[in-house]
Amino acid sequence: MHIPDGFLSTPVWLALDATGLPAIALLARRARRELEEARTPLLGVMGAFVFAAQMINFPVAAGTSAHLVGGALLAIALGPAAATVVMTAILTVQAFVFQDGGILALGANVFNMAIAGVLAAWLPYRLWGRGAHRRAAIFAAGALSVMVSALLAVSELVASRVPVSRAALAFLLVVFGISAVVEGAITVAVVRAIERLSPRVIRQGGTEPSWVLALCGAGAVLLAGAGGLVASTNPDGLQWLGGQLDILGRITNVFTAPLADYRARWLGSPWAAKAAAGSAGALLVGLICVALGRAAARPRSA
Amino acid sequence: MHHVVLERWSRGASFLHSRDARVKILVLLAYLVALATTPLTPAAGACYAALLGVAIVAARLPLAGLALRAAAVLPFAGTFALFSLLAGDGARAASLVAKSYLSAAAALALAGTTSMPKLVRALESLGVPRFLTLVIQFLYRYLFVISEQAQHMRLAALARGGGRLRFTHAAGAAATLFGRSYSRAEGIHGAMLARGFHGRMELLADARLGAADVLFLVAGVAAAVALRLMTGAAA
Repeated sequence: MHIPDGFLSTPVWLALDATGLPAIALLARRARRELEEARTPLLGVMGAFVFAAQMINFPVAAGTSAHLVGGALLAIALGPAAATVVMTAILTVQAFVFQDGGILALGANVFNMAIAGVLAAWLPYRLWGRGAHRRAAIFAAGALSVMVSALLAVSELVASRVPVSRAALAFLLVVFGISAVVEGAITVAVVRAIERLSPRVIRQGGTEPSWVLALCGAGAVLLAGAGGLVASTNPDGLQWLGGQLDILGRITNVFTAPLADYRARWLGSPWAAKAAAGSAGALLVGLICVALGRAAARPRSA
Repeated sequence: MHHVVLERWSRGASFLHSRDARVKILVLLAYLVALATTPLTPAAGACYAALLGVAIVAARLPLAGLALRAAAVLPFAGTFALFSLLAGDGARAASLVAKSYLSAAAALALAGTTSMPKLVRALESLGVPRFLTLVIQFLYRYLFVISEQAQHMRLAALARGGGRLRFTHAAGAAATLFGRSYSRAEGIHGAMLARGFHGRMELLADARLGAADVLFLVAGVAAAVALRLMTGAAA
C-alpha cells in the first residue's frame, strides 16, 4: 500500500512528513550508533535483497501466487532501528525511481511501513521470539506488519476524505486479512529456511515472556492500526473529543498568542489546527512507542 | 530492467540535465505542493500538464516512454478512483487519477534528468542524514546485481523442471538469496575498506550553484506559485 501523491489532504501529508521524517533522522542516528560499521553496506544490500526477493513467487491457493513484503523479515534479521532505516531507503528509492508511492506522501508511507510496520513486527518477535511460541511469534510479526501498515494507509486516506464506502472498506479489510496471513506464512517459511542455511545470521528474539509488556504491545499495535481506522471513519467523534477537552482551542491559542494578528489568517484556520492536532497525536504515539521500546529492550536480570 | 532506462535518460545533456540537483528537487517540491493543494478542475489539470510537458520536452526525454512509466501509479489510483466513482463522486475520481499521475510524471522528470549519485548527494545536502543516504546508495547499486541473481536462480529452477515452485521450495530460494546477499555484503565491505572507504561516497566534481541554477530555481518556483494562484482558493 504505497500511497501516491494527490490522495492525501494537505493537513494529513504535512503532519506525517513533519513527524515521520525527523523520527527517521533520530532512528538513523541510533542505528548508526548501535551497529558496527561493517553493517552499513549490509543494510543497503539487504534492501536490495528485499527488492529482488519480490521476484520469487510463492504459490497460494487456487493458482494465485504472492511474494514477500519483507518488513518483518528485516526487523527479525537486523533489529528494529536498522530495519526502519532499510525500509525508509527502500521507500525512498521506490518513490523516486519506481513511482511506487508519492514524494510528498513519503512521510506517510515511511510512517506506515518503516516505523509502524516494523514496530508491529518487532514487538511479537521480541516478546515470544524464543522458546515454544517462536513460530507463532514470527507469523504474528509478518501478519501484523502488513495489517498495521495497510490499516494506517486506509485511515489516512479516509481522513483525507477519499470516498471509501462501507462495502469498499469491508472488501479492503478482507484483502488485507488475506495478505497478512500470507505474509505471516511466507515470513515463517523464509526465516526457518535461513536458520537452516546460515544459522548465525538471525538474531534470537525474546527475553522471558512478560504479560504486562505483551498487553502494552498489543495495545500499541491495536491503537496504531484499528484505532486509526476507527478515528478516521468517525471524524465527528474526534472533533467532539477535541471540543470537550478544548485541545484544539488551546493549541491554537498557544501558537497564536505571539502572532495575534495572523490568527485569523492561517493558524486559526481549521486545517492548520487539524495539522497541529495530528502532529501532536502522532508525536504522542511516537513517544509511547519509544517508552515501550525502552522498557522492552531493558535487559532483565531475573 | 526499469532503472536501466532511467540510467540512460539521466545521462543526457540538456539544460535541465546540467542544473544542480538540489535546485531541481526544490522546484519539484514546489510543483508537487502547488498541485496537491489545488482543487483540480480540467482546466487547472491541463495547465499543470502543460508546464510539466514543457519541462519534459526541454529535457529531451521521450514523452511516450515517460508517460508509460508514470502509469505505475494507476493500479492504486484506479482502485480508489473506482471507489469514488461507486460512491457517486465522478469529479473526485478524475481528480485523484490526474493528480497522482501528474505527480508521478513530475518525479520521473527529476529522476530522468539527474543521476542517482547526484540526487542522493543533493538529498544529503538538503538535510537527509548521511547514514540513510549511504544505505540508499548501496541499495541502488546492488539492486541490479541481486535482482539479476534472483533471475538466474529462477531460470535455473525452470531448467531443472520446476515450473511452479512449491511453497517450501520458494522459501528455500528466498533463503538462499538472503544468504548470498549477506555474504556478498561482508565481501563488499572488506573490499571497500581495502580501497580506503571512509564512510562517504565521493563524486568526481562537487556541486556548485551557478547563475543558471538560481535562475531555474526562481523561474520554476515562480511558475508553480503562479499556477497555484491562478487555479483557485485553498483546498
